[in-house]
Amino acid sequence: MAGLAAGTIAAENGLETLMLRTGQSATAYSSGAIDIIGYPPEGLALKEYLPDTEVPFKTPSDGLRAILTLFPFHPYGIIGFGADDDKVVESVIAHVKESISWLKERLAGSCAALIGGFERNIYPITVLGTTKPTCLIQETMWSETLNANPDNVLIFAGFRGHAEFNALSTTRAYLENQLRTGKPPHKVGHCVLEISPFGKPYNISSIELARHFDHDGSMVDLAAAIKKHVDQLGATHVAIPPVLGIEQALQNKAELQKELGVEVFELVALPPSVPGFRLQRAMDRTFKNAGGTLLIGHQARSAIFKNDMIESVVAQSPRREVTISPKTVILASGKFIGGGLEADENGIRETVLDLMPVTTNLHPAEEVRPVYHTNVFSLSPDGHAVLGAGLAVDMDFRPIDADGVERAKNLFCAGSILAKYNYSLEKSGLGVALSTGLAAGRNAARMAKEVS
Amino acid sequence: MSESDFDVVVIGGGSTGTAVARDCALRGFKTLLLERDDIASATVGTCAGMISSGLKYMDEPEIVDMCSEEVVHLNRIARHIIMKNPILTPILELSDLSTGGNFAAEYSKRAESRDVPPVMFLEPEAALEIEPLLNPDLISSLYFEEYFIDPFRLCLLQALDAQENGAVVKTYCEVIDIVVRDSTVESVTFYNRVTGEIESATTKTIINAGGPWAHKIAAQAGATLDLRLNKGAHVILDRRVVNVGVITKAVDGRMIYLFPHENTTLLGTTALDTWEDPDTLVATHDEIEYLLKSIEWIIPSIREARIIRTMEGVRPLVPTWKVPEGEVTRGYEVIDHESEGVSGLVSFTGGKLVTCRHMAEAATDLISQKLGVESKCTTHELPLPGMESDVDVLSIAKEYDISQHALERLRARRGTQIMEILDLVKEHSNWRTTICTCEPVIEAEIRYSIRNEFPQTLNDLRRRVRLGTGPCQGTFCTYKAAAILADELDLTGEDYLVDILDFRAERWKGIRPPMRGPQLAQEEVAQGLYACVGNLDQIETEYDPKPWEEVG
Repeated sequence: MAGLAAGTIAAENGLETLMLRTGQSATAYSSGAIDIIGYPPEGLALKEYLPDTEVPFKTPSDGLRAILTLFPFHPYGIIGFGADDDKVVESVIAHVKESISWLKERLAGSCAALIGGFERNIYPITVLGTTKPTCLIQETMWSETLNANPDNVLIFAGFRGHAEFNALSTTRAYLENQLRTGKPPHKVGHCVLEISPFGKPYNISSIELARHFDHDGSMVDLAAAIKKHVDQLGATHVAIPPVLGIEQALQNKAELQKELGVEVFELVALPPSVPGFRLQRAMDRTFKNAGGTLLIGHQARSAIFKNDMIESVVAQSPRREVTISPKTVILASGKFIGGGLEADENGIRETVLDLMPVTTNLHPAEEVRPVYHTNVFSLSPDGHAVLGAGLAVDMDFRPIDADGVERAKNLFCAGSILAKYNYSLEKSGLGVALSTGLAAGRNAARMAKEVS
Repeated sequence: MSESDFDVVVIGGGSTGTAVARDCALRGFKTLLLERDDIASATVGTCAGMISSGLKYMDEPEIVDMCSEEVVHLNRIARHIIMKNPILTPILELSDLSTGGNFAAEYSKRAESRDVPPVMFLEPEAALEIEPLLNPDLISSLYFEEYFIDPFRLCLLQALDAQENGAVVKTYCEVIDIVVRDSTVESVTFYNRVTGEIESATTKTIINAGGPWAHKIAAQAGATLDLRLNKGAHVILDRRVVNVGVITKAVDGRMIYLFPHENTTLLGTTALDTWEDPDTLVATHDEIEYLLKSIEWIIPSIREARIIRTMEGVRPLVPTWKVPEGEVTRGYEVIDHESEGVSGLVSFTGGKLVTCRHMAEAATDLISQKLGVESKCTTHELPLPGMESDVDVLSIAKEYDISQHALERLRARRGTQIMEILDLVKEHSNWRTTICTCEPVIEAEIRYSIRNEFPQTLNDLRRRVRLGTGPCQGTFCTYKAAAILADELDLTGEDYLVDILDFRAERWKGIRPPMRGPQLAQEEVAQGLYACVGNLDQIETEYDPKPWEEVG
């Protein structure tokens, strides 16, 4: 996401833009939900200093204010570094808000068209029956009316042989939560549908279902299968796993709603998910439409530095090595999943340019043992600090060394290679990627223009 | 409170306890087995599964004889869960050749009865052909063969067979008191962790097979027991990185090993005296590096392998003090507490996985005597469930349209029981679905296990079907299997989510200590699933912190 956002904005600014990518991006594996900020990294600090702020944050703006107050070196904070002291918060909020509008516009009408906005966090339902705070979600994955009416009846519909979603467990977990919080719907049922895209009722994957539903006429059978359960339970809403198609999901949702006469929406799935795949596809197209060139299957391996500039970048594919000599470079290589960082028992390493990684506390991380930066609890609001490791940057998102000096004047970075935030805990992943990607992309574009 | 009159109560569901319960049940004694957690959840659950011919204990020929004979018995009763692994002991220094020679002579004496070849000395080229990862500087190599058993299945099959023969098996029942009247045991009181109730059972005798907790159990009856607790760590690699087992000298001259084990490789083990609560122990950095450094001399590329986790267990050794651990006997002692005024209570110290049946026989003989009945041990003759015949994996793979690989793994766990699982597939064709893709495990086996093998948690399922034991450590199967468990046990939504948290916690216990390399990316993915999307890091549940979390 960070690379695609940076690349697109650079191309839109008239730059000749080349994107190097090894394969699928981490975005393709994500749930596709664009989280801005849901939780603070240290819940206790928040309670102490900002006791009136509700957690999870009700709005991205509440969250950004809290984060910027308590953690000024969070990537969101860096966005505002250039502003006057009293305008930092407002400038960050303005930038994030604008980033959201930018993305929504770019993806409008695509297979990953988004709903939601900066004015509030929303709580879509996951395949576990839990809800999570996010900001933007694909239009197919949201029902505005679900929680509005106490008489609503929701059905979770699953597919037999599709282990990635179990309608019964989801129903129970979700219903118990609704009863605990008192929020509608209070009537929730489930059903299991018999759809086997390849004639076998087992080992059915989400991507196979999505491909199947991209075919014309595939909604007829699905609608018929759901219909009897809707009638039986008097359902007003149907939730299904996010498999309504790769390209055709929106149209399919509309067709299902028409056939069934009720609202239909997709759940948020655990990675890897079809919506994540849709999002990457749509972003790839946006980038290309803006005039960018995408070189997939090429892994950036090293760079040649001259004075305080990167002169060229060397990329490797299975069969050839290419050397590219750009005016500016944006590193959006991700964290451990993306391959931007690697670690062994002796320390953490930045893999492409051998830059200095730092811990989430911004101390050099080259000699830290990863286990000492983990929590004894697997899943807790404290998360694992090692996932906040990355690069430290200056106000222009240029990676810096131990003396605070940028490694190269024309090198920028964005996304989860940045230190000082833990996206899984904060629910801030694609939001930080988008916002910092746009910021770094603009900075790079400005510089490229200055150089020429 | 429930009252029942048992001949014998066995405390502890490890390899020894389940073997005792089986022996007692087969001899017709009214038997109750109480296990505070799950079957094979502690010491035996952290071993390498080697049913050793006693190669490490050449100074104790009677132990070597016993081990060797037990291997023959186990092959008779549980062949379906046993595998034979070739082992190389590469020699890098001339001085080690003579030790190797002594070992070869002792081993070879008993080789024929175990159906293995005598020890061979291989030229370096021959050893390197078998295992190309070996250090090419070796001057010679011993070659021999040892048997390995699935320790979880062994214990479970012993428990199930005990049940089949009339024993009552209760897991998640922790003994909290032993009532002694007139210097004789009268009853046990136990807390049932599933129902939350306190129950009791009257009994004529008690066998304390509490392993590293045996001294604590004895104390509940006012008896004393001395144990030398010794901890051992294993490092687990993501695949069978070696073709054969490799045994070599560690940094301190002890012997350590690298064994291909199921779909993984085990590197073990350390041996350190411990006074910690076994429930709280995890492998330390020093233990991990001790093992890696030790094997690195003989497998120089070992650090390129992907470490997926560690496990740590505690051996309840015979209390011989002021000698190194390696000099403590690998034999066992059956202790009759009658001499200290607690009649009817019998405890174990020492022992090994391979001698669990032998230990059970000795203790059950004593119980038989105490009960005043004549009885005969048959545990070395009667096969464990699943041993009825061979299974033709190729033809059933075709018939049921399930991959040969999945079926072969299934057969290796279950022998002929595989047909009962495939019967479920006949009725529910979607239960062919692969739930754990690393192992792999199909839905039908999970459902069969839940219905027939009394698991309460996903971790119990792991012991029964190897769920979540591969490179991804349950990243992708935890939530899928949790839904099946919730469905079969009719759990609430809350329990379903807590089961997910529990299994993630249990996997993390082992993933965390060696954290390096690709396992960081794996953990980022796992956090992506369960924290970022599932929000399970933030929502409130009734999750109970685990013992190692409370001290960590």
